[in-house]
Amino acid sequence: MAADSAGLPSNYEFWMQKLSVWTQASTLETQRDICLHLPQFQEFLRQMHETLKEMDSNTIIERFPTIYQLLAKSCWSPFILAYDESLKILIWCLCCLIKKDPQNSRESKLNSWTRRLLSHIVSTSRFDIKEVGLFNQVLGYAPTDYYPGLLKNMVLSLVSELRENHLNGFNSQRRMSPERVRSLSRICVPLVTLPDFEPLVEALLTYHGHEPQEVLWPEFFDAVNEAFLLKKISLPTSAILCLWLRHLPSLENTMLHLFEKLISSERNSLRRIGCFMKESLLPEAAACHPAIFRVVDEIFRSALLETDGAPEVLAGIQVFTQCFVEALEKENKQLKFALKTYFPYASPSLVMVLLQHPKDIPRGLWHQSLKCISEMLKEVVEDYGSYGGPFESWFLFVHFGGWADITAEQLLMSEAEAEPPEALLWLLAFSCSPGAGHQQRAQIMVEVKTVLGHLTKLFRSPALSARDLQAAAEENQGGDPRPPACQQLVRRLLLYFLLWAPGGHAIAREVITLSSVAGPQRSQPKGSLDLKYRVQFCRRGAHNELKPQTDALGQ
Amino acid sequence: MDSLLEHLDRFSEVLAVSRTTHVSTWDPATVRRALQWAGYLRHIHRRFGRHARIRKALEQRLQNQWKQEGDSGPTPAPGLANFQALGHCDQLLSLRLLANPALGDASFHFLLQQLFPGPGVPDAEEEALQGSLARFARCRAAAHMLRFHAYRENPVLQKDSVMKTQAELLLRRLQEVGEAEAEGPGRLLSRLWERLPQSNFLKVVAAALLLPAASPRLQEEELGVGSPRTPGDGRQELLRWLLGKSDIAVAFCRNLPAELLTSVAGRHPELSPVYLGLLTNWGRQLHYDLPKGLWIGTEPQDVPWEELFSRFQSLCQAPPPLKDEVLTALKSYKAQDGDFEVPGLSIWTDLLLALGSLV
Repeated sequence: MAADSAGLPSNYEFWMQKLSVWTQASTLETQRDICLHLPQFQEFLRQMHETLKEMDSNTIIERFPTIYQLLAKSCWSPFILAYDESLKILIWCLCCLIKKDPQNSRESKLNSWTRRLLSHIVSTSRFDIKEVGLFNQVLGYAPTDYYPGLLKNMVLSLVSELRENHLNGFNSQRRMSPERVRSLSRICVPLVTLPDFEPLVEALLTYHGHEPQEVLWPEFFDAVNEAFLLKKISLPTSAILCLWLRHLPSLENTMLHLFEKLISSERNSLRRIGCFMKESLLPEAAACHPAIFRVVDEIFRSALLETDGAPEVLAGIQVFTQCFVEALEKENKQLKFALKTYFPYASPSLVMVLLQHPKDIPRGLWHQSLKCISEMLKEVVEDYGSYGGPFESWFLFVHFGGWADITAEQLLMSEAEAEPPEALLWLLAFSCSPGAGHQQRAQIMVEVKTVLGHLTKLFRSPALSARDLQAAAEENQGGDPRPPACQQLVRRLLLYFLLWAPGGHAIAREVITLSSVAGPQRSQPKGSLDLKYRVQFCRRGAHNELKPQTDALGQ
Repeated sequence: MDSLLEHLDRFSEVLAVSRTTHVSTWDPATVRRALQWAGYLRHIHRRFGRHARIRKALEQRLQNQWKQEGDSGPTPAPGLANFQALGHCDQLLSLRLLANPALGDASFHFLLQQLFPGPGVPDAEEEALQGSLARFARCRAAAHMLRFHAYRENPVLQKDSVMKTQAELLLRRLQEVGEAEAEGPGRLLSRLWERLPQSNFLKVVAAALLLPAASPRLQEEELGVGSPRTPGDGRQELLRWLLGKSDIAVAFCRNLPAELLTSVAGRHPELSPVYLGLLTNWGRQLHYDLPKGLWIGTEPQDVPWEELFSRFQSLCQAPPPLKDEVLTALKSYKAQDGDFEVPGLSIWTDLLLALGSLV
């Protein structure tokens, strides 16, 4: 509270000046300026109210001698009054100024002035249409009876004018001029969160005039997107699609909002991320139009590079792709556009294989698919073919998280004495450290082979102990220290082991404790939960018996 | 049941007083009581919304009240119009008290505390009123903004949103009043005719007669199941009244534009003989001025040739039953006058000649 009031005086001056400019003339520029500042102004009003409610009215006038002017000017603009909660907050502020018993004529006058202002902004009756008012009075209806109906009719009539415009093109006499459409989008800016306006907002978003440039105000798009992100408006996906296609910043803001959610909570299960993702409508929109998919993908790519492969971002990509594929299937859209439109840096045959969901392939054939994927990737990565460098290939591969997990599973579950297939080893090494050179990768593969050798022996062992597992994962004594990428890979293998080995979950807790004591890694505890649900995700359709086990692991 | 009705009466009185200077005698306790009563009635509305018998009884009581108010002197402030109004009676009371300068400062202060308790209010009831008042104010502001910045009067009258709303309200009111008492609608319409600017009222009547038949906007959806009214009733009442009052019918046919009247006559065949009869009379008033070569009237109130012609033209562009009726009439008048083909002898001949290809 104290911190707020420190900033309040300077804010106050700033807004007082702004209001003076705004009330001088109602031009397009001032309207635009007002619309740009509506959210911040509301915030300021909130802070004012917090301050005012602690004081009595005499103190208020001492602290803020121009308070009456400020409030009167705020009440002057219909844009401010129409916006979100500003009207309510202004009323609260005015209430703070009302005296219960005025002591002298000056206080009396101020009181009655404030009362009049309050009554005006609550009822705005001075703008009423006279004929309508009189008509209803004789009929016996009060404004509370007829205003909602009037507003509804006005909105419907405007909606049908906008639609007519669309259908009849140049021939329609009722064609709305671009100026009028723009004006309408301007009025909607403060009113997007009013439920009665939803049909109008939708009609504007889906309106296609015949002008080459965008006719709607950009502030309108911003306002709609904000309201959508804060769940203050509900629009059909087709309208949101139009919004994002016409106004790129809205799509970018939605992505930022998503990232905030991904990064903010400590423990975001994949299921929860899936919820965010579906609510955001991004996968659905991407399924409807590849341009959206490309933009979203680009943003994910940049984020991944910026954060050096943060697991939160990786999880976001994987969940997004999963939801995207589901959305495509649900709408029975085979990819209408060539695969190249969605994944321009990858070979179409590779994408085709990756797009298949593991659960749609019989288990016995997983090995085959993996081998195929591995070979194709290897070819691209090591030959620097026409499809971009290792990063692009890796980026493509991580879209489809399920395959990386299955690689590990196949390796762990293979016969104890058999040679692990090179292709799978390569794939696992690549997914963990795409940047490694040829030599490095070979080294990693060797290390992993050794560890796997131990692990596969233990896999089916009846009596597992945490110590055994620890020993299996330990570095060779007297050898070179493991590169960190390799260490990470070994840890992951350990976790997969814990998840899938018959005796794994019994010793899980112990192992995790031991390993965090030995070498704490920030992402480790998080990673384990991450993996748990990832497995759940990709097994969803196939192996329901695994679910209770993985749930138990989480306890 | 009786206590409920009595409660309704008492609250209606309170509502009526809330607009007068009498509120200067109200102390905060009185204000609280009034708000509580309003809250109680809102609760009644919620509880008995689907209970046809109780709803009907309450509605009847309200219509009776209104009838008594309405007959006396100058237009009074509306009270509770119908059962549905009970759903926001607290809003209505609050708005009136807020706007009344006669309310004492202490009571006003108390009222504000009740209506606008501020953010983070634990009591759901208070929050509801605060929210609904803010929403209503926003709705009203929105309507004004639309009207100032985006609204254009629709040249097709019956599609204009303001006109349409008034028409819908008129029909709805006619139904409500008709439920309570058979002569209700007629009396209401006469009252409207006396008290409102006539040209606007006639337009509303025309728009009401042209509203689509099964309008979903009528009260049906709000009242839910069990409402005994049919949408056509209001329109029938309106038409009956219009045709029953000859001077009003004349004003209706004289003052409204040709296109509009054609649409109404096309939709309501009962009107077309009346309209046609009037046109015939007006036509008979004109005589042919040989030097000028025109049909002119003698009295200033006579309908000029141009207007007569434009009305017949519009009627002849209407779809079949109406068009044929008009043409048959014109041809029969022409025959009565002697069936001349030469212009200047019979106005009917000249009209038919002027209508040319439409005939």
